[in-house]
Amino acid sequence: MPVFKAPFNGYSVKFSPFYESRLAVATAQNFGILGNGRIHVLELAPGAPGVTESVSYDTADAVYDVCWSESHDSVLIAAIGDGSVKIYDTALPPPSNPIRSFQEHAREVQSVDYNPTRRDSFLTSSWDDTVKLWAMDRPASVRTFKEHAYCVYQAVWNPKHGDVFASASGDCTLRIWDVREPGSTMIIPAHDFEILSCDWNKYDDCILATSSVDKTVKVWDVRSYRVPLAVLNGHGYAVRKVKFSPHRRSLIASCSYDMSVCLWDYMVEDALVGRYDHHTEFAVGIDMSVLVEGLMASTGWDELVYVWQQGMDPRAS
Amino acid sequence: MEKAIERQRVLLEHLRPSSSSSHNYEASLSASACLAGDSAAYQRTSLYGDDVVIVAAHRTPLCKSKRGNFKDTYPDDLLAPVLRALIEKTNLNPSEVGDIVVGTVLAPGSQRASECRMAAFYAGFPETVAVRTVNRQCSSGLQAVADVAAAIKAGFYDIGIGAGLESMTTNPMAWEGSVNPAVKKFAQAQNCLLPMGVTSENVAQRFGVSRQEQDQAAVDSHRKAAAATAAGKFKDEIIPVKTKLVDPKTGDEKPITVSVDDGIRPTTTLASLGKLKPVFKKDGTTTAGNSSQVSDGAGAVLLMKRSVAMQKGLPVLGVFRTFAAVGVDPAIMGIGPAVAIPAAVKAAGLELDDIDLFEINEAFASQFVYCRNKLGLDPEKINVNGGAMAIGHPLGATGARCVATLLHEMKRRGKDCRFGVVSMCIGTGMGAAAVFERGDGVDELRNARKVEAQGLLSKDAR
Repeated sequence: MPVFKAPFNGYSVKFSPFYESRLAVATAQNFGILGNGRIHVLELAPGAPGVTESVSYDTADAVYDVCWSESHDSVLIAAIGDGSVKIYDTALPPPSNPIRSFQEHAREVQSVDYNPTRRDSFLTSSWDDTVKLWAMDRPASVRTFKEHAYCVYQAVWNPKHGDVFASASGDCTLRIWDVREPGSTMIIPAHDFEILSCDWNKYDDCILATSSVDKTVKVWDVRSYRVPLAVLNGHGYAVRKVKFSPHRRSLIASCSYDMSVCLWDYMVEDALVGRYDHHTEFAVGIDMSVLVEGLMASTGWDELVYVWQQGMDPRAS
Repeated sequence: MEKAIERQRVLLEHLRPSSSSSHNYEASLSASACLAGDSAAYQRTSLYGDDVVIVAAHRTPLCKSKRGNFKDTYPDDLLAPVLRALIEKTNLNPSEVGDIVVGTVLAPGSQRASECRMAAFYAGFPETVAVRTVNRQCSSGLQAVADVAAAIKAGFYDIGIGAGLESMTTNPMAWEGSVNPAVKKFAQAQNCLLPMGVTSENVAQRFGVSRQEQDQAAVDSHRKAAAATAAGKFKDEIIPVKTKLVDPKTGDEKPITVSVDDGIRPTTTLASLGKLKPVFKKDGTTTAGNSSQVSDGAGAVLLMKRSVAMQKGLPVLGVFRTFAAVGVDPAIMGIGPAVAIPAAVKAAGLELDDIDLFEINEAFASQFVYCRNKLGLDPEKINVNGGAMAIGHPLGATGARCVATLLHEMKRRGKDCRFGVVSMCIGTGMGAAAVFERGDGVDELRNARKVEAQGLLSKDAR
């Protein structure tokens, strides 16, 4: 299975929506606490179990998240620890990048997500308790969402409704927003502890999952939000990221500070259907390819990026 | 740098232990309005049944060596009755015992090991039950109990016996062979050769323990031991031993049953002790009267996992909590308990104030008084039924004897007494101590001491 050794600690990994063999990795020096960051664009060699770096970009501060544009195959957007949001074009050489940089967030930007349906905007969430909406053709943010009372660790678009997104915060709430409304349309007190991540179901636009410091992943239905559909126990520490599969309706991937990546099917009795313990430090980034069914990637503070097929051992060579 | 500190704080918040398993905590702790002391406010329920408990603890009478009732008794005939008593009083199948560990000091090692094995056969144990000895000088009996507790915790077996045996008639204290000249280079090694009484004089001189204090401690020991014997307090722990006395002139054997300690002198007074001359040092303070008696005797303690005791329906006499062995200066070896007791109490998560009862071996009055004063212990809590100066100190058996005495007294005191400590100093400069908890099978009555008004406030709230 392909594995890539980065010089810094991994924070996030994303498959390209245009090319099966391409993925981007966000990394940060000194575990993202102090120092520089770097974005790597990796290519998976066809057939052979290798991964090569096609280009990398250095940043003055940690890169906490990265995402691909859904409208341009070579455009990357990065969330930076110094509060900036930078746009890169991988078709251009490193000296020409970033092609744009926004400096609006007052504190660390934790996540960035591109709108998959409208394809003209993206969200960023920050430790300054806000979520910002950006458009590719605007010089500044279009809007700021200010209801959270603590770090917003994730903001993610609904896969079917171009104006709806969810945000997960350390204030223990999950909020559902419609950008056409002045405030959040729904507040779900999803966990008793900080919520570190959330993601929408790709097949049911009313279902989403949250992951938390309380070591659980919970699955919610916005139509009956008082009780979760499922509570998934199994991680030994806070669950850092949660991701719904683009290929199977009820499949969820999660990664945790317990250094493991887990696969869950929330609709079956024994929900934990797979556990991968290939990381030797906190596992903080997880992604599933939309182009190749079952292809997964993960990264962690052990500076490694693994790409593997579900059911296989990520460390196999 | 402030940014780095802030980022670290945010990340550490993710790793903060969550109490999503709070239900388990509630099951383990519950507040109870109990007046047995501060530590009793939160009674740990024994949910898991995996702690090590004592279900029986017995000893022989302790008799003066060479002149007492055991002067003609073989050592194995001292151990066999207490081993037999453990299985008879609990109706335990002897083949279920995983090991018998016997603390013993003075006899040649392999011969004593054989004698202990033979004693197990006399007591009715089958050949499948293992036997071994352990020697940690004066704490060997306690070390045997600790070794068995550790083996049960480790899962080697579920039931074990920690015992102690010494016949100082048969094996007096002595040094065999010559001394390695290398000791001259090491003062501490040289101090290991000091007679025990000289270390007692060192303690008295260095820490200013007066002759009067020492003699008073001896008088108290005899008085309390005599009162306990008269009140029948030793009846439950002492196993009568059928043996014989041989007339030294005619060789005639007279069968006797020994059921009380024969070293206790209820008539001891400060005046009578004052007449004795110091034995070890000119103008010294240590005398035969304020030293422990050289004795013969044995003791044995039956330990098992709590779940096994519950399954067999055996009442729990006590719970083994912690054991600590520490090293001190050989020249003042008697201070061992002053170092070992805090170590064992701390290891149990307790404070000295939480300990309701102490059995501290009175090897010498000087070290006993020093340790009591050094730790600031309430004399009303120490050796309440007398100590080694009255009852005797058969070196390897003392630990098991003290455990038996402590647990039976804790049982009598009921809810008034939750934690007890056994401790002794060790020749060549060590100390050992163990913390025990009273078993739960006691009634609610409190009759040992007056209870002041209890506001259910933690001691921190004073």
